[in-house]
Amino acid sequence: MEKYLVSPNPHIHANVSTSKLMLDVCIALMPAIIVSVLYYGWSELLILGVSVVSCVLFEWAIAKFLMKREGHFCLSAAVVTGLLLAMNLPSTISWWIVMIGALVAIGVAKMSFGGLGQNVFNPAIVGRVFLLISFPAQMTDWTVPAGFIQNVDAVSGSTLLGMFNEGGLAAVANVDYLKTLFLNIGGSAGEISALALLAGWVFLLVRKVIKPWITLSIFATVAIIATIFNLCAPELYTDAAFNLLTGGLILGACFMATDYVTSPMTTVGGIIFGVGIGFIVMMIRYFGSYPEGMSFAILIMNCCVPLLNKWFHQRKYGYGRA
Amino acid sequence: MNKLTFSIGGVHPNDNKRARECAIEVLPLPKTVYVSMAQHLGAPAKPIVAVGDFIKTGQVIAEPGGFISAFVHSPATGTVKSIAPRKDLAGNNVMHIEITVSEEEIWADGIDLSDTLVTEIPEDKAATLDKIKACGVVGLGGATFPTHVKLNPAPGSKAECLILNGAECEPYLTSDYRIMLERTKEIVVGAAIMQKVLGGCRCVIGIEENKPEAIEAMSKAVSELGYKDIKVQVLKKRYPQGGEKQLIDAVMKRQVKSGALPISVGAVVQNVATALAVYEAVQKNKPLITNTLTITGDCMPDNRQHNYLFRIGVPLSFIVDYAGGIPEQAAKMISGGPMMGRAIANLDAATVKGSSSVLFLSEGATRRKAESSCIRCGRCADACPMGLEPFLLHRLYKAGDVAELEKASAQDCIECGCCLYSCPANIPLLDRIRQAKGMALGAIKARAAAAKAAAEAAKAAAEAKK
Repeated sequence: MEKYLVSPNPHIHANVSTSKLMLDVCIALMPAIIVSVLYYGWSELLILGVSVVSCVLFEWAIAKFLMKREGHFCLSAAVVTGLLLAMNLPSTISWWIVMIGALVAIGVAKMSFGGLGQNVFNPAIVGRVFLLISFPAQMTDWTVPAGFIQNVDAVSGSTLLGMFNEGGLAAVANVDYLKTLFLNIGGSAGEISALALLAGWVFLLVRKVIKPWITLSIFATVAIIATIFNLCAPELYTDAAFNLLTGGLILGACFMATDYVTSPMTTVGGIIFGVGIGFIVMMIRYFGSYPEGMSFAILIMNCCVPLLNKWFHQRKYGYGRA
Repeated sequence: MNKLTFSIGGVHPNDNKRARECAIEVLPLPKTVYVSMAQHLGAPAKPIVAVGDFIKTGQVIAEPGGFISAFVHSPATGTVKSIAPRKDLAGNNVMHIEITVSEEEIWADGIDLSDTLVTEIPEDKAATLDKIKACGVVGLGGATFPTHVKLNPAPGSKAECLILNGAECEPYLTSDYRIMLERTKEIVVGAAIMQKVLGGCRCVIGIEENKPEAIEAMSKAVSELGYKDIKVQVLKKRYPQGGEKQLIDAVMKRQVKSGALPISVGAVVQNVATALAVYEAVQKNKPLITNTLTITGDCMPDNRQHNYLFRIGVPLSFIVDYAGGIPEQAAKMISGGPMMGRAIANLDAATVKGSSSVLFLSEGATRRKAESSCIRCGRCADACPMGLEPFLLHRLYKAGDVAELEKASAQDCIECGCCLYSCPANIPLLDRIRQAKGMALGAIKARAAAAKAAAEAAKAAAEAKK
């Protein structure tokens, strides 16, 4: 009899694991990554490689030598952080700056809080914001290097949001929205193709890795705020489509704000979280000195997650109906 | 037809009903049977036979040990060899009556062994309830709660709907499915009897959509028999559809409040196998000494899957040997379904009234993976059919915060296993929430006891003043 297992129920498992979920996220990022590599060429591939390898290396080393506990190293989670960090950086950035970003993302934002599942802030965004503040010039150099596909707009050297921030509405008067869907001009790797990002998001929804509510509430809030401002003063404020399709909005809403660890547990909490991000990002874009505010919006709302988890709970059986 | 389902949580495990095509076979009797005195919820039964007594099949051998308890009858003809503690399937010592089985079977008087269908429903409710009680009928859906108690709601509460549970939402199990196909009309008559006892409420027979043959057969039997207010309701395939509270939510769109009984919302839920036992008790005077059990598993070869009609008291090892032994790849043996069943620690344990399966799972299907860090994905909360937050209960349990556990409704956990089933970090959520539930229930009970004591003290003080 000893050879048979004895343990409490349940005796079967859904066969999901953290690694499998993270692998799905990696797969979902692939369309956007492929587009960015085609568009920016070898330099983008180098950034992706350096970012992923450094994130994995730092996480492994810190888990093994500093934390000295089993179970803190999760390869696929580190790869996801690495990919997201790389997608948040301009393609012209030096490899050693990427490494610093990876160290801050993994070492400071993730492992110092206790590793996987314990961090308050999204590691990749912390890494990006740290670099933005420490290396402002390099982080906003949007010169487009020669990619693998022909690109006529490669000279522009500025993001659409950057142009609006500096030159006002006139600077972005002739934007072709259709083009932003497929190939945006300027920006970090993850900002190039809205369609590629959305394809990855739909993949995650189909695989039931994430739920759509956070992303949809960000989109809805941004669209509503932009429409209201645009209707009140069309000569001052950009419209909804511009705000939805430019900058890191889609990347942030689909892949960064939906990070399990740093987003609320319940659907209601998630919707409030999304509305908060949408509101903050629009305030920064319209009234802030930075052209883009997605990173800050997500970080600020990350702080609210413990409160949202405390205030908003599941609908319990026997307390509502009847 | 409109398919119904419960409104919160749930999971979709592969149903793996591999034994669904296997017709029920009668399992022979071994040389010795061991009849447990604790095969129902409540107080154990008290033996009323002595060592050396000759007993007939179906004769009472033990009587109820309390209000919530049940009669136990002999599953075989033979001699009482011993009355002594014996290990049950979890390895706990329980009083058993050991019976050496005789060659020739003699049934106790008054039991109708013919298979003529008796469709006339007796009018006298009290007599019917007495028969159900005297035949030792208990709920066969898992909890083995004495049926006569459940069918006799406290004064002031009224049954509005009798829900017959034919969901069989546990993967692998097929015994309810088989009896719905093979004992169809008897089940419907059993339902009509219970309907009558409950004062003529409506009756809904809930069956999951993955059993279309059973839905068809039961619907046909219902229309042929023509009882008033009985209908078959198709349910979605979703675990735990057959959970009492979930079934009430699905069928009646009502939810039972925390700590309350189903009758508080007008519901009485009985399993289809219980309806069959009620039929046999009331119409045939036949005590509950048999039930149907599935022997199956992912590592059980197709030709060795069976549904057996077994007598209670037959050792599990006898059934397993009869079915060709333990399959080689088996890593775990389970009595009951893979979601809520209990691991068998002792194969010599005897079957009881509520036995529903012997399930063999392979290493790959059942071995738990190493626990890793919670990534706060919220899948456990999405899966919980009671709307609880398992991750939170787990954390509060670790912190030992009983007050917060109670606030987070740890006491409402139904131990269905959905949380652990869906956790990507393989955190043993239910193992710990079960402990947490005990802590919360303990606090609630202690408070009730203290309140009662205080009330009594106040009353005594008031009387002393007079």
